[in-house]
Amino acid sequence: MRLAFILGEIGSGLRRNLSMVISVVLVTFVSLTFVGAAGMLQMQINQMKGYWYDKVQVAIFLCNDSSTATGCASGAVTKEQQDNLAKMLDSPAVKQYISDYQFESQADAFKHFKEQFSNSPIVDSVTQDQLPSSFRINMKDPQKYQIISETFSSQAGVETVSDQRQVLERIFEWMNGASVAAMVVAGVMIFCAVLLITTTIRLSAFSRRRETGIMRLVGASKTVIQLPFILEGVIAAVVGAVLASGTLWLVAQFWLNGDLSQQFLNTPFISSTQVLVIAPILIALGGGLAGISSLLTLRRYLKV
Amino acid sequence: MIRFENVTKVYDPNARPALDAVNLEIDRGEFTFLVGASGSGKSTFLRLILKEDRATSGSVYVAGQNVANISSWRVPKLRRGIGVVFQDFRLLPQKNVFANVAFAMQVIGKSRSIIRETVPEVLKTVGLEGKERRMPHELSGGEQQRVAIARAVVNRPGILLADEPTGNLDPITSMGIMGVLDKINQNGTTVVMATHDDDIVNEMRKRVVELRNGVVVRDEARALYTSMIPVVGESRRMKDASDAEIDRAQGVQQ
Repeated sequence: MRLAFILGEIGSGLRRNLSMVISVVLVTFVSLTFVGAAGMLQMQINQMKGYWYDKVQVAIFLCNDSSTATGCASGAVTKEQQDNLAKMLDSPAVKQYISDYQFESQADAFKHFKEQFSNSPIVDSVTQDQLPSSFRINMKDPQKYQIISETFSSQAGVETVSDQRQVLERIFEWMNGASVAAMVVAGVMIFCAVLLITTTIRLSAFSRRRETGIMRLVGASKTVIQLPFILEGVIAAVVGAVLASGTLWLVAQFWLNGDLSQQFLNTPFISSTQVLVIAPILIALGGGLAGISSLLTLRRYLKV
Repeated sequence: MIRFENVTKVYDPNARPALDAVNLEIDRGEFTFLVGASGSGKSTFLRLILKEDRATSGSVYVAGQNVANISSWRVPKLRRGIGVVFQDFRLLPQKNVFANVAFAMQVIGKSRSIIRETVPEVLKTVGLEGKERRMPHELSGGEQQRVAIARAVVNRPGILLADEPTGNLDPITSMGIMGVLDKINQNGTTVVMATHDDDIVNEMRKRVVELRNGVVVRDEARALYTSMIPVVGESRRMKDASDAEIDRAQGVQQ
């Protein structure tokens, strides 16, 4: 009986305040979509890190005929210089940091270059001796790049030591920035949502002050009086959160794994199933915020 | 049933207290009129019984319990034992007669079958049988007040407080309402009724407690609206002061 009664009260409250309830739904929808987008970006970053960091290498590029670096003053790398570098890579001092390395000759480099840019006219204007040969090193711990760089960049025959990680790091930094921006927007929107929920509950309490006054007089418990109002706010916010989760799922399903994954074949995108992990968080966040702000509003505006 | 021990209520420390050291005892099953001019403290008296306000000093006992010691989560339980009726009825305009009365039972969690059984009974007691499906705006003032009384007593409270229940009604309708209240009182409910209506008080011949400026100036059994015994001593002095104040106020109006 009491449950049916409370549900009825909620229903009538939602109907009476329909426009406000819709605005609460929309504001929580938008704000939680931003929260979820920030979360998805972080997941995407982690996914890409996991995927790429295993594949990235530190490359020691050796001098070729056209090198201009100071270490290459004596012209292209000689056989002794190259053997010397290989010996250094095998020495225990360096070996402890690397798991393995390969030598990429100019011919290999040219082959890879042609594969990579097969659709581009640049292939026709590049010749084999323009490309450097290199040692490709897989690090045990990619963070220890600095040691390799210090050891090898001053050696004779070495043009430069480059860490592919740094290129990726820049991309990740950019993505991180985007997710922080999304969080900031989300924060502002959540603040709006809380204010709006507060106002809505206040209006709702005001428009039903006759009922609540009578409930008080006949001795209805605090729960029976307040619960319909609180649930009203929570229901509106949860509907918003569900809409936000749905939107994010659609984005992952049809944009990330549809259009984008076709354009960027080598990029691992998060799947739409992974997005479903965010949904419960959004729903809990929306419902929790609405519940707390309704409760605090009622404490002020609904005497019990 | 209701006991005031030296109760003082101060709203504004700069003004005179709304109730000033009131001592009063109302027994179970009694019918008591609370009379006095506006601002004499009648409503404050009723509010203190309901624990809508706290007494500034002194103790209020309801059904043997000091209301100051009732924690806020048990206040609803106190109020379930007290029915309240107002001058302005306070019915819910979107609900019909039955639903208005049933509302009081729903919100304290009574089952549907008990509600279906009890509400018609109570409506019969207040003389509204056959009008269950009417909406409040389709009823006369007297009928609306009967609905309000039905709602107040449907949970069988031991006490019924009525704050000028006949204030909006004509004399004949008022007498009908008094008949209903009397019937409820006969069934064992303690009734406290604040009123200005001298005809009703004179007709009913019940206990009369008169408040003036927050002080009980008269407490008589089977009394009239105005005093039958001469006012003397301290009470006399206060009566004169208050009469002078009333005269002054009327002078200002003219």
